[in-house]
Amino acid sequence: MFLLDVKNLTLEIETTNGWVKALDKVNISLKRGEISALVGESGSGKSLIVRTIVGALPERWKITADRMTWKGQDLLSMSEKARRKLTRDEMSVFFQNAPDAFDPTATLGEQLRESVPDKMLDKGFFWQRKQQRDALIIKYLHKVGIKNHRQCMQAYPHQVADDVCQKVMLASALVSKPELLIADDPTMGMEITNKVQILRLLTRLNQTQNLSILFISHDLLAIGNMATDMTVLYCGQTVESGKMAQLRNKPLHPYTQALLNSAPSFRKDLPPKAPLSSLSGTIPTLQHLPIGCRLGPRCPRAQKECVKTPSPKKLQNRSYSCHFPLNRSIE
Amino acid sequence: MSSLLEVKDLSYCAKSRGTLFKREQSFKLEPINFELQSGETMAIIGDNGSGKSTVAKLLVGAAMPDSGSIILNGETMQPGNIKQRCLKIRMVFQHSQSSLNPGLTLGALLDEPLKLNTEYDGYERRRIIEETLVKVGLMAEHAHFYAHMLSEGQKQRVAVARALILNPEVIVADEPFAALDPSVRSQTVNLLVKLQQDLGVGFIFISHNLGIVRHISDRILVMRHGKVIEAGKTDVIFNWPKHDYTKKLIYAYQSLSKR
Repeated sequence: MFLLDVKNLTLEIETTNGWVKALDKVNISLKRGEISALVGESGSGKSLIVRTIVGALPERWKITADRMTWKGQDLLSMSEKARRKLTRDEMSVFFQNAPDAFDPTATLGEQLRESVPDKMLDKGFFWQRKQQRDALIIKYLHKVGIKNHRQCMQAYPHQVADDVCQKVMLASALVSKPELLIADDPTMGMEITNKVQILRLLTRLNQTQNLSILFISHDLLAIGNMATDMTVLYCGQTVESGKMAQLRNKPLHPYTQALLNSAPSFRKDLPPKAPLSSLSGTIPTLQHLPIGCRLGPRCPRAQKECVKTPSPKKLQNRSYSCHFPLNRSIE
Repeated sequence: MSSLLEVKDLSYCAKSRGTLFKREQSFKLEPINFELQSGETMAIIGDNGSGKSTVAKLLVGAAMPDSGSIILNGETMQPGNIKQRCLKIRMVFQHSQSSLNPGLTLGALLDEPLKLNTEYDGYERRRIIEETLVKVGLMAEHAHFYAHMLSEGQKQRVAVARALILNPEVIVADEPFAALDPSVRSQTVNLLVKLQQDLGVGFIFISHNLGIVRHISDRILVMRHGKVIEAGKTDVIFNWPKHDYTKKLIYAYQSLSKR
């Protein structure tokens, strides 16, 4: 059974030019104990998906989905109170851009204490609670690799380096022992040794505590190593999803191929300073989305049919949405 | 052949400021030495707070060194002489978004360095601006645009154009690719490599992304705690790292890129 199952999620946002589909029929599913990657560039709607799952979107935006369930319970028809409780108890979110996501007027320690749920404290006298909380927080701070916990807890978010902030954010997400961690670019801008440390920690938690992780990033180098499944997004459309290894070896969608090519680390045969293959143009803004397949204007293989939105096609256990896929010979 | 840029015993000591983690010791950059040939790319890698950005600042003259000298083409750069330096060494900043003045059109933005540093008349300047914009893959009409009308990748191109417009010999870039998306990042990497091949400028850049460092740099400087701990050819450093810290970096990178 799926832990999280989202089918045909469409999110419409009101702009000056009327309603725009910021997410267009996105499918995500996550089994218990699985690490799934959601890959996409900025503006592809990754963060909107996170906010839709935890229910942190403005009410006037239109959310429609064929199915959006958490352990079989429908998230969309749930009362707000029940949904909040569920989100608090069972999910944790690592927000993108950690230094901005913290409250600048409270110390990191205060904010960490807030994220420890009451039920995790032993039944002691009320004056022992603070100590219990702190012990728990310190344990997690050490886990994520912060040695100097006292200084860190007394600091305000702007006083510590960005990567320390990111680690504190991770600690605060993990301290409530969630079943699902939604990590929105947890290693952004991190130096590589720190990055490896964080990725190891997440992998270990996944193995020992059966933590499911929805890992959102555009850093294929980080994702490629830990995730089992991958979903590639472009401008709010799912372009391809399937097993990580398959997607990396034989991408079907031109966009997946372009993303893989953009990471020179994956290509051993590339001579130094050779031009990297890249898509021309840039990511369209929400106000100027092309019709049909949204990659159309940038796609090297685009033809006349691409003005119609391609419907997702299944191939073995992966799906892709493209009229003219690459590597078709694997059928 | 003498080298394009020669840095001798450059050192710097930051005035002590009571920030959180550096309350007792102020930052100190130990004397560093390196040379750069024309048409060569050098990458500086290292931890946060290792002094990478300080080196960049010292090179472009945004900070005053305590000792040492920077020699470009046999000519010593005077520490306070910004006018002499900004013709030869130019900088590209990490966030093109915040380094472009939102109140100016790109034409006016690119006009400024020309006005301040050259004797060209208005007509000539306009021609140079249009040429430079075309050179970085934009159109001449973009001179009438404002920064907010451009996408992230285009802004980075403008930042490169601003660095190129005075025909510098060295370009220093502080994390030029960090804020860009993968597909746009490849475009920028291609642009810089191509410009370097065409114009033969020396290029010094700071990056966390070892994949790109390995791809475009000829030489690498590894820094830690204000010291250069290892320097050498990209090939050598990636295959036979000597210092423990470099080993850690390279192994971490390899463990990710393997499989």
